[in-house]
Amino acid sequence: MHLGSYILNKQFLLLSVCVLFVCAALFCSCRGDEVIYPTIGTHVTDEQRVGGLYILNEGNMGSNKARLDYINLESGTYYSNWYGAFNPTQTKELGDVGNDIQQYGNRLYAVINCSHKVEVMDRQARHISKVDLPNCRYMAFSGSKMYVSAYVGSVADADMLGAVYEVDTATLQVTREVKVGHQPDELCVAGDRLYVCNSGGYITDRYDSTVSVIDLGSFTEIQRITVGLNPTRIRRDNSGHLWVCCQGNYKSAEPELVILSPTEVLKRVPMSCANISILGQTAYILDGEAKRLYGISTIDYSVTEFAIDLSAYEHPYGLLATTDAIYITDAKNYVSSGVLHCYAYDGHERWTAKTGDIPGHLCRVMQAYELYDDGTTPTGKPSPFISRVYEYVPAMGQFVNELPQYADGDDAEDMCRKCEQALANDARGLISLGGWGGYITFGFDHSVKNSEGRDLQILGNAFRMSGNDEYGSSEPGIVLVSRDDNGNGKPDDTWYELRGCLYADPATTHNYARTYRRADDTQHNTFHQHPYYPQWITEDSLTFSGTLLPAQTQTVNGQNVQRILEYGYVDNKPNSDVEGTTFDIDWAVDADGHPVLLPSVDFVRVYTAVDDRTDATGEISTEITGAIDLNCNK
Amino acid sequence: MKRSLFLIVLLALGALAAFAWDADSLRIAAHDSFRVAEIEVTARALTKDIIVPQTLKGAELRRLNSLSVADALRYFSGVQLKDYGGVGGIKTINVRSMGSQHTAVYYNGVQLGNAQNGQVDLGRFSLDNMEEVQLFNGQKSDIFQSAREFGAAGNVYLTTRKPYFKDNERVHAHLRMRAGSFALANPSLGVDVKLMDGLSLTMDAEYVYSDGRYPFRYRRVLPNGETAYDTTAIRQNGDINAVRAELGLHHYYSTTGYWRLHAYNYWSERGVPGAIVNNVWRSGERLWDRNTFVQGQWQDEWFDRWSTRLLAKYANDYTHYLNYDQRLLPSDNEYLQQEVYLSLANKLQLFRWWDLSLAYDYQYNALRRDNLLLEAAPEHFDRHSHWLSAATAMNIREYLRLQAAVLMTAVSCQLPKVTPSVFMSLRPYPAIDLSINAFYKQSYRYPTFNDLYYTDLGNADLRPELARQHSVELAYRKSGRQTPVGYELTATASYYYNRVTDKIIAYPKGQQFRWTMLNLGTVKINGTDIKTDLSLFLPMQFTFRTRLNYTYQTAIDVTNPADTYYGDQIPYIPRHSGSAVAGLDWQSSRGDHYGLNYSFIYVGERYGQQENTIYNYVQPWYTHDLSIYGEWDVCGWGLKANIEINNLLGQDYEVIQNYPMPKQNIRCTLAATY
Repeated sequence: MHLGSYILNKQFLLLSVCVLFVCAALFCSCRGDEVIYPTIGTHVTDEQRVGGLYILNEGNMGSNKARLDYINLESGTYYSNWYGAFNPTQTKELGDVGNDIQQYGNRLYAVINCSHKVEVMDRQARHISKVDLPNCRYMAFSGSKMYVSAYVGSVADADMLGAVYEVDTATLQVTREVKVGHQPDELCVAGDRLYVCNSGGYITDRYDSTVSVIDLGSFTEIQRITVGLNPTRIRRDNSGHLWVCCQGNYKSAEPELVILSPTEVLKRVPMSCANISILGQTAYILDGEAKRLYGISTIDYSVTEFAIDLSAYEHPYGLLATTDAIYITDAKNYVSSGVLHCYAYDGHERWTAKTGDIPGHLCRVMQAYELYDDGTTPTGKPSPFISRVYEYVPAMGQFVNELPQYADGDDAEDMCRKCEQALANDARGLISLGGWGGYITFGFDHSVKNSEGRDLQILGNAFRMSGNDEYGSSEPGIVLVSRDDNGNGKPDDTWYELRGCLYADPATTHNYARTYRRADDTQHNTFHQHPYYPQWITEDSLTFSGTLLPAQTQTVNGQNVQRILEYGYVDNKPNSDVEGTTFDIDWAVDADGHPVLLPSVDFVRVYTAVDDRTDATGEISTEITGAIDLNCNK
Repeated sequence: MKRSLFLIVLLALGALAAFAWDADSLRIAAHDSFRVAEIEVTARALTKDIIVPQTLKGAELRRLNSLSVADALRYFSGVQLKDYGGVGGIKTINVRSMGSQHTAVYYNGVQLGNAQNGQVDLGRFSLDNMEEVQLFNGQKSDIFQSAREFGAAGNVYLTTRKPYFKDNERVHAHLRMRAGSFALANPSLGVDVKLMDGLSLTMDAEYVYSDGRYPFRYRRVLPNGETAYDTTAIRQNGDINAVRAELGLHHYYSTTGYWRLHAYNYWSERGVPGAIVNNVWRSGERLWDRNTFVQGQWQDEWFDRWSTRLLAKYANDYTHYLNYDQRLLPSDNEYLQQEVYLSLANKLQLFRWWDLSLAYDYQYNALRRDNLLLEAAPEHFDRHSHWLSAATAMNIREYLRLQAAVLMTAVSCQLPKVTPSVFMSLRPYPAIDLSINAFYKQSYRYPTFNDLYYTDLGNADLRPELARQHSVELAYRKSGRQTPVGYELTATASYYYNRVTDKIIAYPKGQQFRWTMLNLGTVKINGTDIKTDLSLFLPMQFTFRTRLNYTYQTAIDVTNPADTYYGDQIPYIPRHSGSAVAGLDWQSSRGDHYGLNYSFIYVGERYGQQENTIYNYVQPWYTHDLSIYGEWDVCGWGLKANIEINNLLGQDYEVIQNYPMPKQNIRCTLAATY
């Protein structure tokens, strides 16, 4: 039998066919139970930084692939699908198209655009609740309210106008709604106003070009500011100015950056601004078309180009500037994994991590979480930064009601939340304590241990005079610490002063007291035409008591400056001077001046220690921009 | 458990076949040959066909649990069906992974066009009046075809019922009512009238209604097997109302010549149910369609050597899309497409063994787009296309058949493109029906109006997308008609390598989700199709049929090594897929028929996006369908009753992610033919 006929032997052929199909069947896998998407941790960096970073991957419309990732910056572990680890029971996961993520108070909020909801989570991304809002886009927060822009109102509108919803963060109910322009995107709060970018982005050739100004009191639109075509992003800088990124129409109208006063246009910068992140006195601008990163001074608008090489990016997309790093994401072709890049400010790339689809939105947090190996039990690590502000009682001053901004109706609790927003999680906002005696009380998410050496760093805005290190802007504040002895979580226990260099100085007055009266609040300088008396305080007078340091203001080289004290006071030396801004709990003394050994403290209070003023800058008031527990995670 | 079920089914089929084979192997001489009865139009010239199409026709077509052409095409190998679920969900096919726009669909010989998006929704074509559904890889093997038919990479031919009258018959009628799950109501009516000898009229009308409210279930478990969530909901806004009406006039005026006219009208209103995503369980999009076309064909032959065919078509398609979902921005768009098509094809038989053909086609497409909300001036787009083809076919002795064709395509003002194709068939042993077929073919897929001009997205500079196909096939056919067991067997194994370059894809254009269409993408496809058909004619008038298909495909993105998905399988192409059909028919002594049919479809694991990560992984799905039917002859009427159970085990599956498919569902059909 030759080969040909053997091959054609029927049994053989039949057998081969059977074998082939059976083999095919073996190769084919069967359908099992559909297991939830896993959370996968990948080590991406050996750098040990504080806290973590949330990355909200948008995912494409209809794909239901909005994915919340998280990187623990202390261990350098990047977790994809972090949300999934804690919320496996959420039907159809996080949702469709993630559009914004922010931490406010003790919660994490994420706007899921095509799932028509704002997902409300605890800080670790455990689902708490959701707020159903149609076609919602971005969030802003103020006091106990969340403001959410949405492409549509609750009632359909023939003109296709968008809306902003006001949501009470306690009840998570929509309290009010206001109609704005076409397709509102980013929004931000400045003073008692809300500024909303009307992009008009859904209808080509009919882009909008306005910013709606909403009065938060009446929740009505009181003004429309014309900026440039297709405004999509709006951010507030430290001086209260608003930076609006107008995208143009991608044809004849060029993109531009418009800076508002906030009610009038201060400056127009022709610049493509795909994304913006403001930190300190620099606005970082990501030019997505030219693949460049610029920094613009919020003071004089001078432009610097950063030596960060983005040329290998396919589509630069997300941007976040933090105190120690710049994060930029590459969205690639929008339908595959993106990349998160971390850069140092000198431009060198520190590490990269693979993200989900369209990593668009970043949120830096000060909590470092880890996932145990079993994939389900997370553990929280304490944050070295302020997590709570318990009290904020400034004495009368020119920056009071401004830093932080008071809005009609705010109570003491609202003001504490505003301070928290400014200070917690290394946000490095600025809080003014007003004249002598005004104070703030804050705490961490753990007790601060008293270790060997300095324990706490408290940051202010002091600086040295150029050419004379002995003088500068020093607005000293005294630090008090307290333990939660009664265990009620409230700062109502015994306070101990941290003894600074002037504690025993003969010019220092202990047990000093001063009363400020609302009735005396009449003298307002030209820069600060607003009440100086804290408006949320219902009493008509405020009495403070404590230690008064001698005034240090002198005229040096024709400038009103202060002599910089040696140690032991907040807002006395520049933040870069670690020695000069750190405190040792061993310095604690009781009311009689006897040293007290405190193994740990739970509350920290800072108050303005001098009663002094200069003609040029008004009263000397301690400013605080943050605090760090130096022993945390040691 | 489920895996073993699949194995058992396959093994059982194999064992049955093996048993039958053994029984007759002693009796059948190797040179025996038996051909399936076919309607041969002409037997004078040697058949020069090369490509063996995959065919479903007549009774076999009707045995499958299929509502539309799309359902039937699932049983072909090398084919991936995209199905968005339900009666109204869009269904398109992708042949050998080259993309659905590389597949042309012909209705009675004339291509169905959609210049707007290049996709033909096969869910709209009823199997009710379908005589035959054929799939040709490469091209139809008869070179006597219109020029444009040489232009596509894969071709699906839909042929509607032709009237056949016996001498004393003048009228045939056909009445059918189908009802089923999800409020399916699907009556149809057809009448064929013989007007005079050779001239007949066919009329056909059908109505489809379904509320589309099928239950679907999403269940996910934790890695330890505990339920994470388990949600069952009802599909919303998936209703459909559709009416189809057709009119045909056929005239065979001589032994060689005939003409026919065909008018088609389809009207539908449907909901577009949308993706099921977190917090969204319904959508509010509505779609109205009207597809109308009139086509004519005339064909004759002179001097026994020269055949001419003339085709003409006018199509007028209207689509109205409205979004009611108040959470989304409203949209209200109207599209009107018009198409004029003319084709002249000639075939010259130089010798009995050598044919030449020459064809020229012209087509005009126009699209009008109206945005009713913005009340802007409507936009108009149009284009003229020309095709010129030359082809030759020759048979060298009995062993070898060769075909070659060259097609020149000129679309609007672009430079004409020339694409060659070469086909070969070798039959080494005259006595054995074993052939080795091979082809190489180039074809272009031209950008659609959406690709070119869609607001903001379109890119008028697009080049056509090029597919190069290489295919080798081994086909074996054998039959024996003895008692007690006769059989027919066809077995085919093919290997193909395709390369698609200049793939037209949407690519982001800067920020803010603006996209543009680019010629960016290269896909390398390696595939193997194996298929066998076996019919056994058993004693006592039993017939057993099986049809097994298996496809293995790798379709790899090789656009750019820097891409994270470089070397990954392209979306929605499973490596393994296949189907198995088994049916048992019995004919009683009175002539009644009864039958039981089982079919199984398997689509293996695949990925929903370019990147093959666990987050894009889509599980395999497979469905078991069962049907039972009876046919009786009552007073000159043929009556038929049929009950189908689809997705017997109620698998919760998705063909496209977030578009859940129906669980178990039932259809019943009652039909009467006169």
